[in-house]
Amino acid sequence: MKDTYDKSLPFAASIRWIKKETRDTLSFALRIEDEHIRKAYAFAPGQFNMLSVPGVGEAPISISSGPSDDILLHTIRVAGDVTTALSRFEAGNVLGVRGPFGNGWPMERAEMKRLLIIAGGLGIAPLRPVLRYMLKNEKPNASPAEIPPLIYGARSPRNILFRDEFRSYAAVFDVHITVDKADPQEHWSGNIGLMPPLLDKISLSSKAPDTTAFICGPEVMMRCLIEELLARGLRGENIFLSMERNMNCGMGTCGHCMFAQKFVCKDGPVFRYQDIAALLAVKEL
Amino acid sequence: MKSRLKDFFEVLGPSYRIIGPKIENGVVILAEIKYGDIPAGYRDSQKPGRYRLSPEKDSQVFSFSSGPDSFKRFLNPPLAELFHFHRFETGLGITSPPFSEKGGISETGLPICFMGIRACDLWALKLYDRIFPGGRVRDRTYESLRRNSLIIAFNCLYPSGNCFCLSTGTGPEVKDTFDVAVTELKDSFLLEEGSARGKEILGLLPLGHAGERQSLEKRERIETCKALFRKSIAADELPEIIFRNLDHPHWEDIARRDLECGNCTQVCPTCFCNTSYDFVYPGGISGEDKCNLELSGRRLRKWDSCFSRDFAQVHGGNFRLSRKARYRHWMAHKLAYMQDQFGLPGCVGCGRCITWCPAGIDITRELEALRPHS
Repeated sequence: MKDTYDKSLPFAASIRWIKKETRDTLSFALRIEDEHIRKAYAFAPGQFNMLSVPGVGEAPISISSGPSDDILLHTIRVAGDVTTALSRFEAGNVLGVRGPFGNGWPMERAEMKRLLIIAGGLGIAPLRPVLRYMLKNEKPNASPAEIPPLIYGARSPRNILFRDEFRSYAAVFDVHITVDKADPQEHWSGNIGLMPPLLDKISLSSKAPDTTAFICGPEVMMRCLIEELLARGLRGENIFLSMERNMNCGMGTCGHCMFAQKFVCKDGPVFRYQDIAALLAVKEL
Repeated sequence: MKSRLKDFFEVLGPSYRIIGPKIENGVVILAEIKYGDIPAGYRDSQKPGRYRLSPEKDSQVFSFSSGPDSFKRFLNPPLAELFHFHRFETGLGITSPPFSEKGGISETGLPICFMGIRACDLWALKLYDRIFPGGRVRDRTYESLRRNSLIIAFNCLYPSGNCFCLSTGTGPEVKDTFDVAVTELKDSFLLEEGSARGKEILGLLPLGHAGERQSLEKRERIETCKALFRKSIAADELPEIIFRNLDHPHWEDIARRDLECGNCTQVCPTCFCNTSYDFVYPGGISGEDKCNLELSGRRLRKWDSCFSRDFAQVHGGNFRLSRKARYRHWMAHKLAYMQDQFGLPGCVGCGRCITWCPAGIDITRELEALRPHS
């Protein structure tokens, strides 16, 4: 499929609003300026855009809005040059966007199969479109056994992203949240500790072989959880993970995002675990 | 008879930028050339980490082999402008550079003619044609420079001491991807067409008829050349040797010798990695709020190397922190990953990485060390 606009050139997008999610994380709601591009622009959950601050540079950021939302949402942790520059922007300012790039989650599975969603930290950003999509397409009268579990881990209560939204997700998902640690003044009554023990709170057993898992988070977290999932009977072919690399061009021509022979920007960022299991086992590929 | 090569330059000169071999600082490089620039009769001596050029007193014209340069410097320039930007508080203007329908980057530019490209580089060119315009997104810089380019390929008759294209199956004879193929015979050049445009060009040259005798001489010369190869690589066992040995202790051994200068990636005709960055016009900055300046500049793309320490850097860390991992990535990309990515070999056996490595690291020997020995 040929794109109707040139993805090698940034297009202008204006900032409608900015929301401070946590101490170092901001959400930017964007609107594409050009009408033709706005109509032609379509993304799949799990894809990313290259956000451009001309004069500073470009950074790959996953898309966090739902496919049918009327704004384009990007949730950014202030870490490098581009994200720091972005953090100084205000509503009304304009930035550059190229995209969407990448493959996205296998959404047909979100409807057909039993689903398990696991996110760690900022890893919820590329999964939020899936959550939004499922919230919108909520099946009425789902039996308790069909409610998909949503597991989320954050460093501390105040680092929980989209915290106010989890209440609405609870209508569709069996939500389990844990934090690494909680200060007493944070009034946290939920789980404290690592994510794997949360897998014991959801009943997988007989459903495990045909459960599909979507996972995104730090690579060590994903590797560790995948091991646990496999031990609980999930199949490697049904586990999908979104990888992080330093995409620079988004088009498979700069080489930065290579994970062995895979270009994370175009072969990923979502991979079927089974296809990359051998590569994940080797350090520093 | 051999001076008739000049006819080529006269016929092509007005419509092409002829890029061919010439001597600069004691090395055969590629540049825009005239007939007289061809280093006729020079012979190079190449060993790991060594290159020497000397005049040879024989009647051969193309007795030199590949220098550090390849077509890639012209089709994928070391520095290329991607677009011009103008940023202001409530807007953003993006203008792409003037790409020419005729080929070449500017409206007045002429398409490129590669004169004297060898078999190994033709394979690399074929690969480049998949890397750049091959994806879902067009690469307009490459596309424009490649458009209407003319390929006058030469059969190699003198492999350098570091050449191993015979074992990778990518030379020394040119098989396709050319407009005209040239073989230097004892007293003349044998010209063969490889495309309709090549045929057209041959029609413009005052040529004599070539027959059975010339074909036979060409075969003999290529066979003689094949017997001169000194290096080979276990191409039949690729990519398995690499994939089975990603944890081999030998990578550590290479890392101890590797200087990480990135020379190999610069001279390799298949290496394509790059980084883009913004260059702001110093005079173009205005505005009072330092957080939101009005400015203009260009986004440039420059060659990079997977040996750069920050090549795989993200905000949370570096995916290839060790030198061992960076070398392994390069060699595995050449010998295993590229075949998977683009369906063509990533190493074309030109031997440039061996010649231009200041530490004399030899990819054929390093692969040999990874091979299980019975």
